Amino acid sequence: MGTIVAFVLFVFRIYKVPVLNQLSIVYISFIRGTPIIVQLFLIFYGVPAFLQGIHIDVSRAPAIIFVCITYGLGIGAYLEEIIRGAVNSVENGQTEAAYSVGMTKSRALIRIVMPQALIVAFPNLANLMISYLKETSLAFMIGVIDMMGMANVLGNQYYHYLETYVDLAIIYYVICVFLNKFFRYVEKILKKHEKELVRG
Amino acid sequence: MKIDFDFIITVFFKALKAVPLTLEVSIIPMFIGLFIGIIVALLRIYKVKVLSSIADFYVSFIRGTPIILQLFVVYYAVPMIWDLFAKKFGWSIHSKSIPIAVFVLIAFSINAGAYMSEIVRAGIAAVNIGQIEACYSVGMTLPQAMRRVVLPQALCISTPMLCSMFIDLIKGSSLAFTISLAEITGTARAACATNYKFLEAYIAVAIIYWGICIIIEGFSALIEHRFSYINKGGVA
Repeated sequence: MGTIVAFVLFVFRIYKVPVLNQLSIVYISFIRGTPIIVQLFLIFYGVPAFLQGIHIDVSRAPAIIFVCITYGLGIGAYLEEIIRGAVNSVENGQTEAAYSVGMTKSRALIRIVMPQALIVAFPNLANLMISYLKETSLAFMIGVIDMMGMANVLGNQYYHYLETYVDLAIIYYVICVFLNKFFRYVEKILKKHEKELVRG
Repeated sequence: MKIDFDFIITVFFKALKAVPLTLEVSIIPMFIGLFIGIIVALLRIYKVKVLSSIADFYVSFIRGTPIILQLFVVYYAVPMIWDLFAKKFGWSIHSKSIPIAVFVLIAFSINAGAYMSEIVRAGIAAVNIGQIEACYSVGMTLPQAMRRVVLPQALCISTPMLCSMFIDLIKGSSLAFTISLAEITGTARAACATNYKFLEAYIAVAIIYWGICIIIEGFSALIEHRFSYINKGGVA
């Protein structure tokens, strides 16, 4: 979902679609300028209120949907920045070359520029993934039983808060270390490919 | 959908009074974190035995766990440790009388230290090695070279990163309400506890955070401009 949001925003900004471009700038600055927990609450209380206005009752919808919406929107904003940076790092000549062999704007973007940009952006994407993995620990605040919520439940049962939180910290740590290793590995593969391209 | 605009304004001004506290729990950890960060970065760069592997673990552990978890662990662990020592040495202050802000400060400082050490390390790595060699050639010791020549440059280079770190800290401070500290988010939640107008309260809070972040971004652009000016001046 974040990818879709990011791509739409990205298209608005890179081609400077009037009005929508300004709107995306405001949107990104808002997402980057407010804590994710505040966004989470805004969505959690705001979306049902808004939908009630058009007579759709979502009071029975599971809280996890709101979590997904929030993180989707949040990731979208950050992702857009990353992709835009990466695309800008791809040489202009590549696009021109694509045009010169008769590709259209969108085809040049999808087939030539994007694959190169994604390789450049990959380390940042991995970072974003990991940081959002950690942010999911906030979802328990609106009543989703994720790892953090589970730990709270257990802590309430046995009054051993410290022990449960320490356990939880270890779990998160292991996941992060594992993901980190995995991303390093993927990055290596991507980079290898890149080197071959240069040599060829 | 009905939004109570008056209530947004009420909460806005109420929460505005909590801005100093939010800044306090962001700025103090910023400096403590910078201090920790420089030490940890130096330990890791010079590969001090034992200490550097502890530092490695510290950084990767802090970066691998959510900040809210660290907050909770500190909140539950520090009183326990404090009471243990208090009993042993007969201190008169009981852990219950420690203000909550102290726990927040500790947790955020530890957190900021880890992130900051990475920033400082990158900054030091970016300083040309010739600079240190030049220091040696005029007879400076390593600590002198670090303090007088390398660190100032490294900090200049990492200013943008430090500013974004500060913004992250401010946003992170919104989690302090989970251990009932009355900063911006906490105040807003308290304000709407009686009438359940959560949406309005959070709109007000979001606007405040946004405003703070925009101001800081402006400042950081200013500082960056200033530092880049110094850098250019040094060459000439």
